Parts: sequence; C-alpha cells; structure tokens
Amino acid sequence: MADPGGLFAAYHGRVFKYFCRAVGRDDVARDLTQEVFLRASRSAVATNGDGSAWLFRVARNLLLDHHRDQARRPQPSALINETARPASQDVSAAVNAALAALPVLDRDVFLMREVAGLGYDEIAAACELTADAVRSRIHRARLQLRDRLAAPISTSRTMAATRSGRPHEDES
Amino acid sequence: MNNDYEVISAFLDDEPFEPQVLADALADPAGRTLLLDLIALRRIVQPTSAVPVLAPAVPVRRFGWRGVAAAAVLLVALAGGYLVGLRQAAPTTVGAPAATRVVQATPFNPS
Repeated sequence: MADPGGLFAAYHGRVFKYFCRAVGRDDVARDLTQEVFLRASRSAVATNGDGSAWLFRVARNLLLDHHRDQARRPQPSALINETARPASQDVSAAVNAALAALPVLDRDVFLMREVAGLGYDEIAAACELTADAVRSRIHRARLQLRDRLAAPISTSRTMAATRSGRPHEDES
Repeated sequence: MNNDYEVISAFLDDEPFEPQVLADALADPAGRTLLLDLIALRRIVQPTSAVPVLAPAVPVRRFGWRGVAAAAVLLVALAGGYLVGLRQAAPTTVGAPAATRVVQATPFNPS
C-alpha cells in the first residue's frame, strides 16, 4: 500500500464498520474514520510498510481516547422508547451490549477480524500481539459472545434454515 | 467448550490449521454446532449502517520553511528600499557652490 489515497480506497469502509460496531453510533464512527484518514494523509509512516496495521493502530488509539472521554462525561438519559424499537435494532443493541462486556483487547481483535476483515497477522501488527495470541483472543471472544447472544444466534440460524428450506436442528 | 475448537475459528477465518485437528473437532457434534453458531454470530455482528461516501482527506498545505524564507527576503528588500529612499530624500546641509564667473553690474545712465 503506497499512498494515502490507496489506503483510503482499500480501508475506509472497513475502518468505518469497525468504528460503527465499536462505538455503536454512525455519526461518531464517521468522525473517527475521517480523523484516521486525516492523520494518514499527514503522516509518512502510513505510506511505509504495513499500512493496514498502522491505520488500525491509529483507529484503536482513537477509540480508546473516545471511550475515555465518554467515561468522563455524564451520560444523557435515554430518550428512546425501548419498547418501540424494531427487532433489528434490538439485535444490534444486544450485540453492542455483548461487545461492551468483552475485555477491550478481545473486543478489538474480534472486531478487526469479524467486521473489518483483517487477517491474524495484520491484527497482530495493529495490536502488537503475536498471531497465536490473536487467534486465542478471537476464539475466546467468540465463545463469550456466543453465550451472551444465544437467542439472536438461534434466530439467525432458524432464519437461514428457513431460507434454505431445511429445518433448523441443533447438532448436539 | 475447550481450546481444541480454536481450529474451528481458524478454519472460519481462512487461517492456517491442521486438517486432522479440524476433522476431529467436526466429528464432535458440539464442534459442528459451534461452527454453525459462529457463522450465525458473524452474520449478526455485521453493522447495518451503510458506509458513507467520503472524499479522501486532502492534506492542508502548511506554511513551510520556503514560505518563511520568501517572507524574510521580501521584508529585507522592503526595509532596504525604504532606507535607501530615506537617505536620498534627506535634506542637504552643504551650502551653495562657488561662483565660476563674476558679473559686474554698472548703474544705467541714459545720457
């Protein structure tokens, strides 16, 4: 990856999705994504070596700063009527809550893999871990999310089975 | 659920794994259930938001050392010009030059 324009074309969608899931708000995700690529455009580091690792390291640092800021600010009371949300928003809220319950590093490696589509080596470089550690953390995060999201997972499997015309049955 | 099933994660992620270890994991019904659950998990964690169309960030041109040097040269030139102009326009304190010819005037007498 040689230039900031190439990095932008290849990764801006992935960085945005990563932020979307990590912060749970589109507008914040958009701002953070812009900040990542603004920094990339100003930095020569991004143009040398592994651009994706550099981008996601910056993204992760911005995310940590964002969560730190959020923790300092008083949270506004919820104005959304919880009972009036559509089912898809319920699932999304459940996913966000389950992700928030994960250890920060486990959540980040999981999102980099599952949402941003990075490989273990890229995640390892971005998070300064070994590839084996990434593999273990991703698996551990998946097992925890599987437990916390049992109901949406079951629904998703049922819907997939219905679409394919096969009844949904657990293997166990 | 133990770490033997890590191979299922690696398989799902298209990362290197031992085929025999995967075969053993999937021979277990719990391993097969895990694989299906992880596929479903992957589906439900995808954000539903559309990726915004953003223009690549254009770096802001900074006022670098060349700009500073150009401004300094301009300032020196202006100051020099001002000083030279000031010197040339200064009032002289030297008196009138010495006469080169003396004309004697005689009173007019019409008779």
